[in-house]
Amino acid sequence: MFTTLIKFLTSAIDFGVIFLFGCAGEILTEKSGHLNLGIPGIMCMGAAGGCLGVKLCYLASPAPNAFLVVLMGILFAMLFAAALGAIYGFLTVSLRSNQNVSGLACTIFGVGFTSFFLNNAVLTEGVVAQLSQAGNNFFDAPLPGADSLGWFGSLFLDHGILVYLAIVIAVIAAVVLRYTKAGLSLRAVGESPATADAVGINVTGYKYIAILIGAAIAGLGGLCYVMDYMGGIVGSTVDQTIQGIGWLCIALVIFAMWKPAFAILGSIVFGALYILYPYLNSILMIIDPDFNLPTMTIPLFDIIPYAVTILVLIATSIVGRRETQPPASLGLSYFREDR
Amino acid sequence: MKNTKEPFIHITRREGMPLWKGLLIRAAAVLIALILSDIVISAAAPRSQGFFGFFGALFSGAFGTERRIWLLFQDTFLLLGVAVALVVAFKMKFWNLGGNGQILMGCLACAICLKYLGGKLPDPLVWLIMLVASLAAGALWAVIPAIFKAFFNTNESLFTLMMNYIAMNLVAFFISYWYPNGTATMPPLTEGVLPPLGEGQMGKSLLPILLFAVVTAAIYLYLRFSKHGYEVALIGDSKNTARYAGINVKKVIIRTLILSGALCGLVGFVLTGSVNRMIHDTMDNNMGFTGIMVAWMGNLDPLIMAGVSFFINFLTRGMAQVCTKFGFTSEALSDTVVGLVYFFFIGCEFFIRYRVHFAGRQNKQRGEETPTPPEDGERKRAPLSKDAGEKEAN
Repeated sequence: MFTTLIKFLTSAIDFGVIFLFGCAGEILTEKSGHLNLGIPGIMCMGAAGGCLGVKLCYLASPAPNAFLVVLMGILFAMLFAAALGAIYGFLTVSLRSNQNVSGLACTIFGVGFTSFFLNNAVLTEGVVAQLSQAGNNFFDAPLPGADSLGWFGSLFLDHGILVYLAIVIAVIAAVVLRYTKAGLSLRAVGESPATADAVGINVTGYKYIAILIGAAIAGLGGLCYVMDYMGGIVGSTVDQTIQGIGWLCIALVIFAMWKPAFAILGSIVFGALYILYPYLNSILMIIDPDFNLPTMTIPLFDIIPYAVTILVLIATSIVGRRETQPPASLGLSYFREDR
Repeated sequence: MKNTKEPFIHITRREGMPLWKGLLIRAAAVLIALILSDIVISAAAPRSQGFFGFFGALFSGAFGTERRIWLLFQDTFLLLGVAVALVVAFKMKFWNLGGNGQILMGCLACAICLKYLGGKLPDPLVWLIMLVASLAAGALWAVIPAIFKAFFNTNESLFTLMMNYIAMNLVAFFISYWYPNGTATMPPLTEGVLPPLGEGQMGKSLLPILLFAVVTAAIYLYLRFSKHGYEVALIGDSKNTARYAGINVKKVIIRTLILSGALCGLVGFVLTGSVNRMIHDTMDNNMGFTGIMVAWMGNLDPLIMAGVSFFINFLTRGMAQVCTKFGFTSEALSDTVVGLVYFFFIGCEFFIRYRVHFAGRQNKQRGEETPTPPEDGERKRAPLSKDAGEKEAN
């Protein structure tokens, strides 16, 4: 019972950080006043870029350095994601297009491009084995002591490097937003760009930087799903799965009330809900050995994270406190000459 | 503050660009996107067909055979139906991103009726029950977010998005409930389905084409000439004004979203009851999202939207042929190119709505269009109301 529970929590953290990447990236973006519905596509781009980065390492040498592989994966994931983020930024900041429509276009493009790119450019012969080797041995390598320290080891040390990176990024994002001048300026841009402009803050610059960094962070979520959680196995529906995760990331922003620190907890809760089915079955089997949840209930379990999100949406809107509200100018483009 | 240095680029709003000029800019943007795709695809393709081979494949994929032409028109009107359903909500600035889910619920309700009533009741009765059930299921999926939007101002775009996935998983559940050992696909249903209106592909395609042509016309009249349509537009412009004018905003939001969702459900009814005669959890074919793009690119005007829907389907069908011809294994190339076209189309709006001045050229007369300061009321128009579109319609 206890080991199952520990395993469940460990997996919840492993899966949750995928949400955490996407959510932290979206929070940064939204703080600049831009609702980026392109996050699912951007996360897909991260997965595509990450796979390419790993493949390039193996092209350079048949037995590449583990550190280098991980670094290249992260670098290319961020690059690809930021590239799509840049398109979104250009459309919505410079060209002042409608944010919802631009974001959806990014998602349609990103998901399609990823599926196409992975199938036609990345997954050539032999790469499948390389990716899964990189995933299992490099990205998902546990910290020392994971096996010897009992439950503590498996809960806190038995994760790949990306898991710790996600939490570090979320903490940094929280600190920057709350305690630094740059964070204050960014929040000002998101609340009232005209006011920020009047006190001399470079509104366009802040928006671009927030969107680009946000996209790069979200892209790591796609990389994390493919390389860490799936252990380098790129399924044929990977783009659809990441798209579903991406929408949950956007929802998680509301769950976390635009606070990256809350997002850490929220993402683990979402991770737990997402992987509930197999673990619930094994927990129930301990109580009653003959118990077996029929597999046809899997889709019903898959509903839970989305249903919980809706409940949280409703709850926060009913409570309606100021702290739980989105940045005031979220979704509106800023044109200095409008009065 | 330095007053001496002018910024290099200076942007002002532009009003009342002539229709032909706007269309020309859009056409140019789409053409650039296509040429760009052509160059990249030709360079990367395993079996390149040359620059014009791309366009040749596009046209043959869309218009090559009689069957393809019928399919193209069938898909055009299905997508137009979804887009029109969404426009009803968008006019009110209600972001209904739940088209996919509402379509799927329509499909599901229709499939349930077929499964349990098909062959047991007389066919016309089954059709009637199917129709009502599909409309109700689609409406239900839209009205739940609408109620919370109306009473608690709950964010409707995220709410409707989440409803998509709930619908998708519900469909998956029913399929695995009906076929526990199946591969999540369903054999085509035979009993109770709507009969084709004629021979071959034409007979199958005629129903969606006629049905959604009528629906589009009806919605156009509804939005433009009915009291309801006026209320919807007024709420879209300003909720406070609408409230001041004595409109029950909550009631109108709920009523409008019932209509929007029911129309999506109608698409699901046609998909399961006639076009595909079965159900799977991606049957919506992402039309809920594509419909948003169609609605927005078509300026929320049903007539322009019909053209846009035709073009998007032309591109999708044509790209399938390009994939085969150029030797790509993945059909997802089509989404990539369509996405690129969206980017250019969205981006070019900027040049229709704004004028760019470069430093040093400010005072020069530029043709017949000297920028005239717009009326104050005109300036604050939010992007969704799309000034240009409204002008054209008048």
